[in-house]
Amino acid sequence: MKDNIFNFSRFGKYFASDLRTCWANYGLSLMTISLLLPVALYLVVAALQMTINSTWSGPGIGLRTFAFGVAMFCMVVTMSVKCYGRITEKQYGSFWLTLPASRLEKFISMIVMTCIIGPLTGIILYIGIDTIICAIDHTCGNNLFAAFLEMVRNIADKKEVTLNLIYETLTVENAEFTHKLMKQMSSPWLYIDDAFGITLPFLLGAIWFKSGKTVKTFIAMFALGVIASIVFTPIASNWAADLVNNTNISDDEAVSIMINNGFFKNLVLIDTISDTIVNLAFMAGIWFRIKTLKH
Amino acid sequence: MITIKDLGFAYGEKPVLKNITMNLQEGRIYGLLGENGVGKTTLLTLLCGLKKPMAGSIETDGHKPFDRDPSFLSDQYYLSDEVAAINLKAIDYAETFGKFWDGFDMNKFTEVMEVLENDPQQKMNHMSFGQLKKTYIAFALACNTKYLFMDEPTNGLDIPSKAQFRKAVTKYTREDSVILISTHQVRDLENIIDPIIILDRQDVLLNATLEEISEKLYFDYTTDKVDGALYSEMIPGGNIQVSLNNSGTESKVNIEALFNTVHQHKELIKGIFNK
Repeated sequence: MKDNIFNFSRFGKYFASDLRTCWANYGLSLMTISLLLPVALYLVVAALQMTINSTWSGPGIGLRTFAFGVAMFCMVVTMSVKCYGRITEKQYGSFWLTLPASRLEKFISMIVMTCIIGPLTGIILYIGIDTIICAIDHTCGNNLFAAFLEMVRNIADKKEVTLNLIYETLTVENAEFTHKLMKQMSSPWLYIDDAFGITLPFLLGAIWFKSGKTVKTFIAMFALGVIASIVFTPIASNWAADLVNNTNISDDEAVSIMINNGFFKNLVLIDTISDTIVNLAFMAGIWFRIKTLKH
Repeated sequence: MITIKDLGFAYGEKPVLKNITMNLQEGRIYGLLGENGVGKTTLLTLLCGLKKPMAGSIETDGHKPFDRDPSFLSDQYYLSDEVAAINLKAIDYAETFGKFWDGFDMNKFTEVMEVLENDPQQKMNHMSFGQLKKTYIAFALACNTKYLFMDEPTNGLDIPSKAQFRKAVTKYTREDSVILISTHQVRDLENIIDPIIILDRQDVLLNATLEEISEKLYFDYTTDKVDGALYSEMIPGGNIQVSLNNSGTESKVNIEALFNTVHQHKELIKGIFNK
């Protein structure tokens, strides 16, 4: 009975076959996004610089960081469809559903592949090729990895540049507030569960919709976002009004109330819990789809 | 053994199968016949767990197919009428997925590929439909499963391949296996299928072995007119006439004539065979 739910040896075999089919279906796209894109960006920018300014200069860190973000987003959006979208087609889906591995094994493999292996491979390849470009041509400045390390160091050292950024973004000129917020924001888990939160909806969309998978996922996400803001905005407004409870207090007093509030003190924990709930809901949707898929 | 009891299935409001009851026994190659839309593919997909019965039950050696337990799945293979062109070489496909079936035999795969004159080194997404079908047939037979369900397996095969398919099915399947082949091309499978199941709208018109059919119906191939023939058809060089076998004389069953006879005399045939 237990063997029908999960078996390590069978999971290993299944995961290896999943890796192989994903590579066969998505390998070329992954290489194009992760390897060709940074090279193409470098060549195009350098050629433009040569034409306009008659100097050879590669793209700066800002443009490369933006391109990296766009590339990773494109990868997240397309990977699930290419790797698993075919299970809704009769031809491939019939085979996939009757392949002798348990639902749990197929589910875990799917999650690990799209949320961890795929993005990690893309990131490593992209940063790897960016590092090589920057090592060859110093006009690009820091490579993405070095720039990322510097950013982390800046946050850790609470340097002025980061503080100013927060002042400008939140327009709250309170050092205690900023420092506390920054400490909370430097928790890596805050970003890891967000990464899952971006990937899982596209995986669910890939196996839920039979056609127009990506477009329909975007529409569904937009609709969910609208519903969530309709439901939660009044709740958040009421909560903030109740918290301050006095319209005549100064900004500093309001910030002080906020700092000492349990919500702010446990920002990472609350964010983690709320993201985990959302991620679990998407995972439940994926599980339900695998369980009830018919051909 | 597969036990089907009061099985019912519908697409929306449209019922396809209703109160289907039958047993499928080991060591037989069942031919599943029926007009378009009577539910042949639906029955196959219910048996292999791709669909969930809406009424009644299916039990395969104690398993409910729709639970899709790996221990059940590893002893069955479903060959769909539409097959996927995967971006892998046929040999790599067999190596990658064959290991999920306990009885998978790589040598048998390459042997059947050879019998079917198919190149295992060719990429599946570069194959013609017929070549792709032959690859999946070779894979299905190499899985050595007890239960093998094939939906229109000869569709897309050229004439020599149909003969090779018949040869492969008889040579490379287990003695104790239950094979269910759905087809419109009865002539392609005439010499290998026995018993015959004929489905009608929501009902099973016939489920009998060739021996039982021959005991109850007589197939006359002479030019003489048979009085009281249930069905007659002119063929080059004579006639096929089907009548009730009152004398107990044995005759060779012509499946196409049988199918037409059953369809023209539904209640009579059901009455004869359900006695």
